[in-house]
Amino acid sequence: MVSGPLPWLLPAVGVLGLFYLYPILEAVRLAFTDARLFDTETQLSMRSLGSMVGSSTLGVILRNTLTYTVASVVGQIALGLAIALLVVRAERARLRGTLVLRTIVLAAWVIPAIANGIIWQLLFSEAPFGAINSALRLMGASPVAWLSDPSNAMTSAVIATIWQGTAYSMILLYAALKTIDPALYEAAAIDNARPWERLWFITLPHLRAALVVNAILILIMTLNMFDTILALTGGGPGRATEILSLYAYGTVFQNFELGRGAALSMLLLIISLGLTMVLIALLPRDRR
Amino acid sequence: MGQVELQSIHKSFGPTAVLDDINLTIADKEFVVVVGPSGCGKSTLLRVVAGLEEASSGALLFDGRAVNALSPGERNVAMVFQNYALYPHLSVATNIGFGLRRAAMSRREKRAAIERIARLLEIEPLLKRRPNALSGGQRQRVAMGRAIIRNPAVFLFDEPLSNLDARLRMQMRSEIRGLHSKLPTTTIYVTHDQIEAMTMADRVVVMNAGRIEQIGTPSQIYDTPRTTFVARFMGMPSMNMIAARYDGDALVLPDTRVPVPADWPERLAPWVGRELLLGLRPEHLSLRTSPGGVPATVDLTEPTGSETLVYLHHGDTRLAARTPPDTRLRRGDQVHLDLRLDRATLFDPDTTLALPTLPADPITKGETA
Repeated sequence: MVSGPLPWLLPAVGVLGLFYLYPILEAVRLAFTDARLFDTETQLSMRSLGSMVGSSTLGVILRNTLTYTVASVVGQIALGLAIALLVVRAERARLRGTLVLRTIVLAAWVIPAIANGIIWQLLFSEAPFGAINSALRLMGASPVAWLSDPSNAMTSAVIATIWQGTAYSMILLYAALKTIDPALYEAAAIDNARPWERLWFITLPHLRAALVVNAILILIMTLNMFDTILALTGGGPGRATEILSLYAYGTVFQNFELGRGAALSMLLLIISLGLTMVLIALLPRDRR
Repeated sequence: MGQVELQSIHKSFGPTAVLDDINLTIADKEFVVVVGPSGCGKSTLLRVVAGLEEASSGALLFDGRAVNALSPGERNVAMVFQNYALYPHLSVATNIGFGLRRAAMSRREKRAAIERIARLLEIEPLLKRRPNALSGGQRQRVAMGRAIIRNPAVFLFDEPLSNLDARLRMQMRSEIRGLHSKLPTTTIYVTHDQIEAMTMADRVVVMNAGRIEQIGTPSQIYDTPRTTFVARFMGMPSMNMIAARYDGDALVLPDTRVPVPADWPERLAPWVGRELLLGLRPEHLSLRTSPGGVPATVDLTEPTGSETLVYLHHGDTRLAARTPPDTRLRRGDQVHLDLRLDRATLFDPDTTLALPTLPADPITKGETA
């Protein structure tokens, strides 16, 4: 007779172990080798780790990653919250079209990231068909070198990422907003609370858990994001938009340095875990 | 200071009329209870006064000044919600003091005001807690504290006791009433509980289907209901309604004739030969020891300790009688009832309105507005 929880957990443990845990352990092992993508012969070595830490590029990459991640995460949460508040407000006023609005915002999210990169490349394009520059020209403004100027490229990449990711935080925060008791806002109205007071005393405290969870998920997605940037700028011009995930990808699939790529992936994992733990500490006590 | 006047207020949500021609004047410092079954529009009425809903038409006056266009915050009203609506992330003290955010008071004055209110409501030890660490009754007090501290012109209560257990409800009833005598302020109190209406109100407003059925003191409402709805809604068990034909000197029931008091024939002259509804409270039916009166069959007895309710039927008419606690009857027993016709209310079965001239009630005579 089988008893206890173990037999019931075994299938899930098996799947998770095979498809999640094993690759991670394999990557850890590879990080301690000098493996190259097409060489079958590898040996244990600290060279991959050493060259990663000693590389002068890593500093640039990490700075790019920081800029890109912070700007994207903050932007997605802020914009998602703004749209969610707008939708809830519109629903309360019984306006039509909130479903359409939500659907449109969600449509951005179901587009594959690589397609998103291509769409924004077309929009940002400095060729005559580039939509944004055409519009600027129509309004009499001078066109902007969105992608070719290294000082603009990061902004463009962040815009493209926020545009796609906003839907996710919008839906999450919208759901959380719907759980707030409307009587609280009525009580606040009777207490003559201004809109910012309602946001500060009722909405934001209620959303705290949702905001933190949202931040964790977006953070992980953004840190691991590379297809949008790959399609949009390929990390360029130069290394202007090259972030850690893209750098690791390039290291493995362009330079064939499997060991070093695995080491970079480990670094990415450690950063993700570290930041996630910081965010979890911000969760309200009863939700941890 | 706090006179509230509703002048032909209408409110509809889409095609559904929720409030239909509401006219009501509430005097300064008066405690008015609005009572009615769920969906009768009583909460909407309160929300219109608060400014949380806008009246579709009609005028709302505070001290003669139209306030229709003012936001809830500008009306100087305070409201206690059914689920209390305390701000869950703020302490009890901050919740109570929330309405003082922009008051021209020093921090110390505000704290003193909060402590004074907390003392009044006996919640001083709770000031540092969060609402989710409080019991229902404590939350209720905090919600009242938040309302009281602003010293509003009008207090609005929206079924404030319905989430409390019976014992606490009874206690809070008298506390709210006591508070009103300590701090006399115009109060509109909405409830579906007729006991709250009877025990707390200076005047009761009975509503049904978006309309006011009757306005009066609790005793007027109880003793001289204006419609069969009021008669049935107020009182537990509700008023007995006995269909009877008036033949000139007696009411004809299926199995018996009940002679009417000497002063009735004059008043009931137009009703000779017609059907009437005889309304009698259960306490005005009594069991006879000797034959005579109205024969009836016992269906059920409910001893409550202090009294025994007896449910019976006479023909197709179901009756309830309030009897002494030692009444011992069983289902199927045949009994005889005395009807106290001097306390009866007669209704026109077609209009459901009480007949205007009956009865001449010694208690409410001359008191009706």
